[in-house]
Amino acid sequence: MPRTTTVESPGCPPFRALTFDVLGLVKVVEARGKQGGVPKVVERWGEPESRNCVLAASIDGCKRNPMLAVARKCGKIELLDPLNGDTRVVISDAIDTKPEDDPIIGLHVFRRERTEERSSRSCTLLSCTTKGNAVMRSFEVTDSPEDCVSTSTTNKWNVCAAGSVLCCKVDGSENYAVAGGKGVELNIWDLDKCSRMWTAKSPPKNNLGIFTPTWFTSATFLCKDDHRKVVAGTNSRQVRLYDISAQRRPVLSFDFRETPIKAVTEDIDGYTVYVGNGSGDLASFDMRTGKLLGCFLGKCSGSIRYISRHPDFPVIASCGLDSYLRLWDVKSRQLLSAVFLKQHLNSVLFDSGFADEEPVQNARDVTENEAQRHRVDETQYEDGTLLVKRKKKKKKKTHEEGRDHKTSGKENGGIEKLNRKKKIKRVKTLADDDAL
Amino acid sequence: MGWKRKKDEVEGDDGFVGGGDNQRKRKKATAAATEPKEKREILPSMIKNKEKRSAVHAKLKQQKKLEKRKKLKDRDAAEKRALELGEEPPPKKIPRTIENTREFDETVCRPDDEELYAGNECDEFSSVLKRESTPKILITTCRFNSTRGPAFISELLEVIPNSHYYRRGTYDLKKIVEYANHREFTSVIIVHTNRREPDALLIIGLPDGPTAHFKLSKLVLRKDIKNHGNPTSHEPELVLTNFTTRLGHRIGRLIQSLFPQAPNFRGRRVVTFHNQRDFIFFRHHRYIFESKESKHTDSKDKKMKNGKGEEVSQEKVIARLQECGPRFTLKLVSLQHGTFDTKGGEYEWVHKPEMDTSRRRFFL
Repeated sequence: MPRTTTVESPGCPPFRALTFDVLGLVKVVEARGKQGGVPKVVERWGEPESRNCVLAASIDGCKRNPMLAVARKCGKIELLDPLNGDTRVVISDAIDTKPEDDPIIGLHVFRRERTEERSSRSCTLLSCTTKGNAVMRSFEVTDSPEDCVSTSTTNKWNVCAAGSVLCCKVDGSENYAVAGGKGVELNIWDLDKCSRMWTAKSPPKNNLGIFTPTWFTSATFLCKDDHRKVVAGTNSRQVRLYDISAQRRPVLSFDFRETPIKAVTEDIDGYTVYVGNGSGDLASFDMRTGKLLGCFLGKCSGSIRYISRHPDFPVIASCGLDSYLRLWDVKSRQLLSAVFLKQHLNSVLFDSGFADEEPVQNARDVTENEAQRHRVDETQYEDGTLLVKRKKKKKKKTHEEGRDHKTSGKENGGIEKLNRKKKIKRVKTLADDDAL
Repeated sequence: MGWKRKKDEVEGDDGFVGGGDNQRKRKKATAAATEPKEKREILPSMIKNKEKRSAVHAKLKQQKKLEKRKKLKDRDAAEKRALELGEEPPPKKIPRTIENTREFDETVCRPDDEELYAGNECDEFSSVLKRESTPKILITTCRFNSTRGPAFISELLEVIPNSHYYRRGTYDLKKIVEYANHREFTSVIIVHTNRREPDALLIIGLPDGPTAHFKLSKLVLRKDIKNHGNPTSHEPELVLTNFTTRLGHRIGRLIQSLFPQAPNFRGRRVVTFHNQRDFIFFRHHRYIFESKESKHTDSKDKKMKNGKGEEVSQEKVIARLQECGPRFTLKLVSLQHGTFDTKGGEYEWVHKPEMDTSRRRFFL
């Protein structure tokens, strides 16, 4: 008999992700349901056109009035509504150079809470181009998309003199930015003063006297609230950890596989990073020791362009040239699900304001904690009712939970989550006792 | 040691018992020849004596063969009977093949997919395929190259119109790509030889097209093909079959962009790239349409008389093929985004061992 292998999908937690591809399409992928939700493309925004190719994207997923910024190949920056895809603002750079020569590579929307004193309609954007032109602008967003460009302040500066910038990231507190690229050493900038704080120094020649030229392909801040530690990936397949307070050369550096590192993303626990490279290998590293925690295996055949971590659930999403959006479990490193999206993908973002409720508008009002509590209650309820049927399954699950518990026990940060898990576990063990 | 000996003894005992079994089995096997139901219980693999085992096995095989032949005969007879009675013959069964039972693949291109067309519009090959520019191919070799390599290249030059051979020298591949870019070539083909035998083909789209790396095998040159023809210099027709998935589609377009988009039909030359189970078979043919009206048609007439009218058989046109040019098989190893760059390149697709978990999974 023909044996067809089906992807054993353990199911995704409810999430909503936005993917951006080379034809300029924005696709919304959603998974619903408590467990075993299969992610599906629910919406598609924009018309397929190559000059609309999305180069960078950033989201501000606050509860009310969320904002999504998209930088396109034709030099435009668009502000969209991440709920329905309406274009709010279109900014086109009035620079005399062609946008093809100087594409935008980094984009960041600042969170609105930071600028509380202003009206909630104001919005701040940082964009950085390949030639190092960094622009910070803030403007008012009005309801009609026609008369919106009322740029109140613009701040321009140049990140580098020569070379081309390939990565640009803003840290969790949104006061500092890091930039690096081909021939550009890693720079850290103070965004309030628009001044350079720190520059990296290239590592010394190796024992053969060979100097590898600087070529950073990706960078990220290691912790959310610490701007002093930066992880960078290079074209010479090295992952490096820089510490501003220690020295200008990397504190830690190690190689990963054979092809250049293309994506580096930090975990919320503050020491794990996810590294993706040019031939589709994805792995997680512990940056305290530089040890490989494990690889994510799942027939991923194309270069990974972007990795993004879900803010609440232990899930990461990766996308790239194989045009699949893949969702992975962080702890077990299993492939949860893969969605085929037809084009080469440039970036993927999670909508953090999404909760699994039917009317989305209501869900926004419910705070996340409440939603989580709701989830726990539901699992409890289910355990109570469907006890006999799922006895076998549950035993496995409790085992898994126990393992999870062990690993998470090491963590310092995820206490809240741990408590939740404990609760679930307790509930399940109770249920098991009942069954026996 | 003692333990080991014990084990040996036990095994010897087993062997002895087995021998006893064998004798019993032999009796059973002789009985089984007459009663096929009994035979099912004793598999030849259970018999430990080799001679016996092979004898039983041979017998079994012979029987199976006879059964199969009988079945075929029955089927043919049934069909014939149905034809004679003027009934509908029993439907022909479709054999189950690996391709039939291919694993479901969501990346297979569908004709109603507008994103596919939009993607085609703006990919790297669209300028050539829309006839905005004519393809111009540079063919070169690896650094060391002899015997079969140059012979293969000289035949490739005849297959692909507007292709130019440049000696490799000691230039870096990246330099060659740069040079070809300046000279407005649209593709670069590199034939890699190992031990005087071509074993890999690298096709680089220019100026920023993808780089496909193929494994090349089963190369037969023209002079080794029996009754081969000699190709003319007309633009050939191109046949690409079975490139179904997204990746296959892209590879198909890459191959398509090597050839001019306006075939000269007077030349009656066909170049075929046929994909089957991820292997791409290359063939090069000349064809001719011949209308046969002499005694050959007469014999045809007799056959056709009850089926169709006589006029059709009168104007019967037969297409005849003659193979010319090389014959080889390609298998995709990797597809790289951008031009050749082994160190800093990004791959669109690389073959990884973890993908080989099923025989029924194909990528092209």
